[in-house]
Order: sequence, then structure tokens, then C-alpha cells
Amino acid sequence: MESTEIQEGYQVRLEVFEGPLDLLLFLVKKKKINIHDIQIAVITREYLDYLQKRERINLDREGEFLFMAAFLIYLKSQMLLPREQPALEAEADPRRALVDQLIEYQKMKATSSLLRQKEEEQLRRWLRPFIPPQLASEEEILEVSLFDLAECFYFLMKQKENENFKVLKGREISLEKKMQEIISLLEAQQVIDFLDYLKQQESLEEALVAFFCLLELVKARLVIALQESLFQSIKVWLRRDSQAEESS
Amino acid sequence: MNQNLKEIIEALIFVSAEPLSPEKLKEVLADFPAEEVEKALQELLQSYQADNRGLCLVQSAGGYLLATRPEFDPWVRRLLQIERKTRLSQAALETLSIIAYHQPITTSEIAAIRGVDSTGTLKTLLEKKLVKIVGRRATPGRPLVYRTTDKFLLYFGLNSLEDLPSEEEIARLLEERDIEQS
Repeated sequence: MESTEIQEGYQVRLEVFEGPLDLLLFLVKKKKINIHDIQIAVITREYLDYLQKRERINLDREGEFLFMAAFLIYLKSQMLLPREQPALEAEADPRRALVDQLIEYQKMKATSSLLRQKEEEQLRRWLRPFIPPQLASEEEILEVSLFDLAECFYFLMKQKENENFKVLKGREISLEKKMQEIISLLEAQQVIDFLDYLKQQESLEEALVAFFCLLELVKARLVIALQESLFQSIKVWLRRDSQAEESS
Repeated sequence: MNQNLKEIIEALIFVSAEPLSPEKLKEVLADFPAEEVEKALQELLQSYQADNRGLCLVQSAGGYLLATRPEFDPWVRRLLQIERKTRLSQAALETLSIIAYHQPITTSEIAAIRGVDSTGTLKTLLEKKLVKIVGRRATPGRPLVYRTTDKFLLYFGLNSLEDLPSEEEIARLLEERDIEQS
């Protein structure tokens, strides 16, 4: 009983740290090490001491700590290896990547503490999100994700299930043809209600193909799909500027 | 000129459910010359600053909104019977600050900076609508790309991403900490 308590005590100590970099930064500060010139041997010993205080390591949650330990030992071995041609130009310091990572991490720590201050300040301001009641005619439009589309499809299929909608016809429906059909329908009607459109499909197979087509078209950024709220119908438009954007 | 323009703007900001952008304001007040709307808006901002009121007019997420003054928080909470508002977890805050400064960014890039897997945290942030998926990157595996949302700006009281703490502010903070420690 007592021993488990002790173990938990150690656990808390590691959980204070958000990750291996957090622990490493803590040790660098504690040992007053210059971050640009880390003595790998010192820091590796400190780091391993810290891990060894624990009797067992939860690989799921603390695997990253072990990965860092392995990396430190690797670095240490790199530092020990004699160089054939010493100081041949500015030879890449094996510590470079680690130092860069630590500096970036330190910066991130600083920004998150600045954001925390802003959060504290904002939490003391109260806005009025509950009022006013929006007029019903005002359509709130939100761009839906693929998940919403999939959910909607699932919802519809549930409805169809109740109608004993099970017969699969042998007719082949090609994705291309269906896409053409949807595009030309959109060109003619500007907007289509996708749930209605699915309902018009003769078979489950055809409805499935139509749904895949919509996903493809959204992915290709040829159409826009909008849903007013969850489980409601999805409206589909042609995208004006159907050119691929973002994803730098 | 309509004498009440300033008051009209105040009314419009009051009823807005989300920050009222200057563009939207000018659209609604199309009957008035744009420069007069702008002038009245500035006057309104000044009068809120000058007068001692329970509310303040703040600029956030690209628009204007009314909020209670922070110092009256204890009374507001007593009325609403709210002990304390929940804050973001440290992991969420770290992930968010990485996304804010490095957007558009992928999950693995976030993990590389934090040194730990951040998928779970990212999911929470998506649920809270503080970040959004904006597409996929055209690299192997086509990873999802993330950005912060307007709700992120609103949450931290920022008007735009330019309002994020600058490099200098961060450097200053780091220096102060070094001094504290030595």
C-alpha cells in the first residue's frame, strides 16, 4: 500500500513537466547552463537521474521522455567521438538541433505565459453571448466539415432504413457521370438541397455514389457545402473561383 | 448631420451578438457619409474611455463590442453564481500559442516544437472552436493544416493576429526571467 503511494509521488513529479523538453529546460536552468553551450554529459546525467527515480515508466504517456533520454545518450557519444579533421570549417555541432529546439520551446513557453495573462484579463470581462434572440428568418450559415456531411448521410440512411430501402440494383453508376450530373444540376439550379437530392436517388447504391461525389467535389473545391445546423439539410453551391487554395 | 449618430452606433454595438466590424457598421449606416460614421465611432470610444461606466467598449476580433469592466468581475460572478471561469489547460495553451505563431501548421510540426504528441489537445481546441482545419498540405501523407479562429482572437481579447505579443516582448520576458533566476 505504502509503496504505491511513493510511486504516485514520483509520478506527480514527472507530470509537473509538459514533456521532455520542459524537463530539459528545467534542468538547464537549475544547473545554470548556458543554453547555447550545453554540456551534454552533465545534462544527460541529470536527465537520467530524474528518470531513474521512477520504478516504472508508462510507455504510453512517457515514451517521449525515454526517446529524449536515448537522444541525449546518442549526442553524448557523438561528442566523445574524435573528429578526423578538427575544426574543418564550421563543422556542424551535433547539439545544434537540440539547442534550436530548446530555444524554440523556451520562446513558446514565454508566449503561452503572455497568452495566459491575456486569458486571465479576458475572463474577467463579461460579454453578452445569450442575447439578443436572432430573428428566425436570419439564416445562420456555417461551412460544414466532411464529418458533418458523413453524419448527415448516416442520418438519412437511418431514415431510409425505416422505409425498407434495401434493394440493390445491379445497374452501374460511375462516379464521373454522377459528378457531371451534380455539376449540371448546380449550373441549372444554382443551389441544391442535398438531402432532397439523395431522396430522389433510386437505389442505395446510387445514393452512396452521389454522396461520394459530393465529398470529391468538396475536396476538389469545386463546390461549397453549407449546413444551417446539425442534422439539417446541406445546401450545395458551385464554387465561383474553383481554384485550389491554401494548403501552402 | 444626424445628431444621434453616436448613440445609434452604441445601440448597434449593444445588440450585436458578435463583434461589430466597421465594415458592417458602415453598411448598416449607408445613409450617412462614411467619414461621419468613423468620426462618431471614435467619439463614442473616447466617451467610453473618459466616463466612469460599468461597461467598456473594446475592439476585439476585428470589431467592436461591449463588455463589463474587469474590476467588476466579482460582482458579476456573484449575480450569475459562477465560482470561477474555467481556464485552458497548460497543454492547450502551449499548443494554441504554437499554432498562433506558426500557422498554417500541421500536427507533426506542433509535436516537434512541444516534444510531445498533441493530438488530444488539438481535438479539444477544435471542439472549443479556437482552431480550425483549413486544408491539407501537399506533402506525403497529406497532413491536415491548422489555423486559429476569430473565436481565438475574441477569447484572448486580440483585435487581429498582429496583436499577439511581439518578438521583443517575448525576448524581454525571457530576459526578466533570467535575471530573476540568477
